[in-house]
Amino acid sequence: MKKRNLDSAPWIWRTISTVSILTTLLLLFGFGYAIKDVIFPEGDAQLGTGQQTTAPAKDSGQSTPVVKDGKIRMAVIGDSLARGTGDDEGLGFVRRAGNLLKDQGYDVQVLNNMGVNGLRTDALLSKLDEQGVRYVLQQSNFILLSIGANDLFQGGQVLQGEDAPTAETLAAALPETSKRLQEILKKVKEINPDAQIAYIGLYNPFGDVKELKEPGNAVVAAWNDAAMKVLNNEDKMTLVPTFDLFENHLGQYLSSDHFHPNGEGYEQIAVRIAQEYQAETPAEGSGK
Amino acid sequence: MSNIMPLIRNETIKMVKKKRLYIIFIVLAVLVPMFTYAQMKSAENNRDKFGGDWRLELQQAITDNQNSLGSDRVPEEYKKYRTVYIQQMQYYLENDINPKEPGGVTFTREFMNNAVGLFIPLLIMAIASDLVSGERTTGTIKMLLTRPVKRWKVLLSKLITLIMFVSIIVVSAYVICYVISGAVFGYKGFGMPIFTGFKVVGTDVDMSAVHAVDQWLYMLMQAGLIWFVSIIVAMLAFMVSVLVRSTAASIVIMMAALIAGTILTSMAASWQSAKYLFMVNLELPNYLSGGLPPIEGMNLGFSLIVLSVWGIASLFVSFIVFTKRDILN
Repeated sequence: MKKRNLDSAPWIWRTISTVSILTTLLLLFGFGYAIKDVIFPEGDAQLGTGQQTTAPAKDSGQSTPVVKDGKIRMAVIGDSLARGTGDDEGLGFVRRAGNLLKDQGYDVQVLNNMGVNGLRTDALLSKLDEQGVRYVLQQSNFILLSIGANDLFQGGQVLQGEDAPTAETLAAALPETSKRLQEILKKVKEINPDAQIAYIGLYNPFGDVKELKEPGNAVVAAWNDAAMKVLNNEDKMTLVPTFDLFENHLGQYLSSDHFHPNGEGYEQIAVRIAQEYQAETPAEGSGK
Repeated sequence: MSNIMPLIRNETIKMVKKKRLYIIFIVLAVLVPMFTYAQMKSAENNRDKFGGDWRLELQQAITDNQNSLGSDRVPEEYKKYRTVYIQQMQYYLENDINPKEPGGVTFTREFMNNAVGLFIPLLIMAIASDLVSGERTTGTIKMLLTRPVKRWKVLLSKLITLIMFVSIIVVSAYVICYVISGAVFGYKGFGMPIFTGFKVVGTDVDMSAVHAVDQWLYMLMQAGLIWFVSIIVAMLAFMVSVLVRSTAASIVIMMAALIAGTILTSMAASWQSAKYLFMVNLELPNYLSGGLPPIEGMNLGFSLIVLSVWGIASLFVSFIVFTKRDILN
């Protein structure tokens, strides 16, 4: 045993020393290169200019064929309502509508929920330029859109003791925001002309607050009207009305923040969305 | 110099005969399959959800992170990380490159990225911590020092041997990881482009220096940085093994320092001067991928200097203590 150990020694030494010298040199090179690359980086001229150069190349992505596999491919974009905030089960109207459509025998896939809490129309407009967002919208054939509540109601902060909006402030915010809404709808249509687009109309969460009921109702009605103006001129674009749903059931359908719907409220919206959905061809595999 | 080669050779043979060295490889061979399996499961999960479309998956990740930005419950620190993450991921989307293209190479890169803070240093420690103390525990140090060789040469031979094995361990970790994960994810992916050169300015990412490198080159740079970190950790562990008599104590000391480092890194924001501690500076590959540094004002140059100072200081201490101390008691 002792003898064998001694015999193997030169062999071990030669191998280990060679391997270690080679690996050390390799690693030293990597180390040096890393320092050079991090401390004196050379931006890639082609990439450095970012969007301008890449976007056109990318928009070949626009020709990405919308998959025609008989599936409902849902995507949702917009604010916290799109997100499903307030829903204890975390489903929101998207998953709920998806489930309802599934029950009807459709093959449903929810591609993405791109709802962001607190999103306003201006932020959504710039979001629609993002490559990832455009891609998701292009891949879907049923686009749900929820926006506007934060522009008008500041995310419900009015209830948290800040100055209540007056009829004037509500009305003042209306013209430009509803113009932005129209731009948004047009842009979504531009990004994906083939998809069905459902805009989730606004309801008045303050319908049971005495001094806010009337101005709130007026502004929400005007808002939904503005949306209707765009929607009327376009095929495959619908408004999902929610105003009447909530009007007399605020206590029942709103969550504890008195702004977002609760699970039941979302379910009501989802039922309407599922009703709006118009199958291009009878769903394959529905069988029934 | 002529009489140091035999010493190194002797140390190398001793190292090879030590069981501890093989434990490192066994640990890697056991852990990597575990992570591979976990990664496979999560990939499967995502495939179910997003139909295997990475763009959908990435966009959802971006949206989810955007949502957490608005939440009051998320600490400001995390929000900064997420802002940076969002901007980088959007950059990948704009350039139509999947940052997580599945494959053995990508897995290896990600694994090593996560391993540099704690796992690799632990492996290095396993062989470094008993280099001197081990000989004192067994008493063989007396035999070594009764030879007609200067003490510093004895110590230097141990240090050189240690560095040789550090290189071997770092490269082996890559090889083991690649071979094992490749069996599941495939062995391709060396040519895939990876972006580097993100500069974090406040909570914004400066993209002007961003450029794509092939993944193999990226990994070579990453390995170089991991190697540097490993050398410094090795020197520190080496010093501890000179200072402390028992191997167990020396392992515990190093381990405590390293684990303290990971804890500190995650909450260092409020303690600015923690950036001078070596443990907070271990995540060098982070500078390649462009993540937010643990403490504001840290960059690659800074971390390299801090680590170098710690490394050189520990060498000084090691050599002075070893040559001065009466060891034969």
